[in-house]
Amino acid sequence: MSDANTIAGGDEDGFLVAEYALGLLDGPEHDRVRSRLKAEPVLRADLRLWRTRLSSLDSEFVETPAPAAVWSRLEQRLFTGQAKAGFWNSLALWRSVAAGALAVAVIAIGINVATPRPDPNAFAAQLVAALSAQGSNVSVVALYNETTGQVRLTTVSGDPVPNKDYELWAIEGSAAPKSMGVIKINARNDMKVAPDLLAGFGPGTTLAISLEPLGGSPTHAPTGPIVAAGKATTI
Amino acid sequence: MASDTADIADMIARCALRDRQAFRELYARTSAKLYGVTLRILRDRSEAEEALQEVYVKIWQRADRYVPGGYSPISWLVAVARNHSLDVLRARKPQSDDIDMALDVADASPDPEQAEANRGERARIDGCLDQLDADKAEAVRGAYLDGYSYEELSERHKVPLNTMRTWLRRSLLKLRECLSA
Repeated sequence: MSDANTIAGGDEDGFLVAEYALGLLDGPEHDRVRSRLKAEPVLRADLRLWRTRLSSLDSEFVETPAPAAVWSRLEQRLFTGQAKAGFWNSLALWRSVAAGALAVAVIAIGINVATPRPDPNAFAAQLVAALSAQGSNVSVVALYNETTGQVRLTTVSGDPVPNKDYELWAIEGSAAPKSMGVIKINARNDMKVAPDLLAGFGPGTTLAISLEPLGGSPTHAPTGPIVAAGKATTI
Repeated sequence: MASDTADIADMIARCALRDRQAFRELYARTSAKLYGVTLRILRDRSEAEEALQEVYVKIWQRADRYVPGGYSPISWLVAVARNHSLDVLRARKPQSDDIDMALDVADASPDPEQAEANRGERARIDGCLDQLDADKAEAVRGAYLDGYSYEELSERHKVPLNTMRTWLRRSLLKLRECLSA
């Protein structure tokens, strides 16, 4: 049965495919065979057979530990600017967020207390959350005014991403994240907490920002990486 | 070993779903093997490291092209590393192996009969290589494992280029006959 496959197309073709699989053909000839492979299923079947046959030689490649720098560069190249853990169920992420949030929250409280508030437009916040994540440069402080039900987001750092939107999420305990809408990363955002969120909104609520397709997540759940997250704390 | 294979196939599938933890595990499990491939073919540490990085970028970006079936997942990964290294050798045109990846997997239909036939092919090749003259088997190994061109092979074995081509073609013919027997 494999005979029929391998000889189909004539012996010359059979050789060419085997030579292609071995990597023996030079540039132009390699390219020529590749174009033919795209067009001719019989040749592709032959190529698959040769590759399978030859792959038993793979065991002769000697395992050699790669230098650690390769992984660092790879991770930086593929995942920079985005949360390292990237998934909602990563315990490590939530732990680091909690630790970071506390530190920034303390500073934010300091600023809040130290700044006199004669301005009637000043934002009277009862809750603060510092949103950040390891491996991401997005850092946002959220202030929540219980009286008005308003959340104000102030970006500490972070850049817009072409063809993407940032979306804010609220998470109560282990419940699924609920969208609070798309936000602008380079401007101050004032938003009202939606009625369905209001009941549970308070200390311990986690706020998170994910990177989504333009217009926000196409589903009702985050689809992109978390770039910042933090727990709300009473001021 | 079977569970190893299943684990690696599972990690590749999770990479296709953008699971970074799976990618990290896949790298931890397979990078030594693939570094062995790029290092052997490119014979230069810094080039081999750079190639390894490119190989994993491809794996991350195109993990969805892996179709479980005839081709074992580690062979698929080795093929990506090997094809990339050969491309670097050939002309520093790393993108072209896009198509190689597609060719690797497009027809790798999860057909159980085919998978069985493939396993048989794998098991028999060593015995078939042993039936070749030692230097001819060495030339096949040199082409596959070291990425030697016909020119390099003819230099190493001290035979004219055309002779080497004839040698290799005869060896391949014998291999095919042996494997199809």
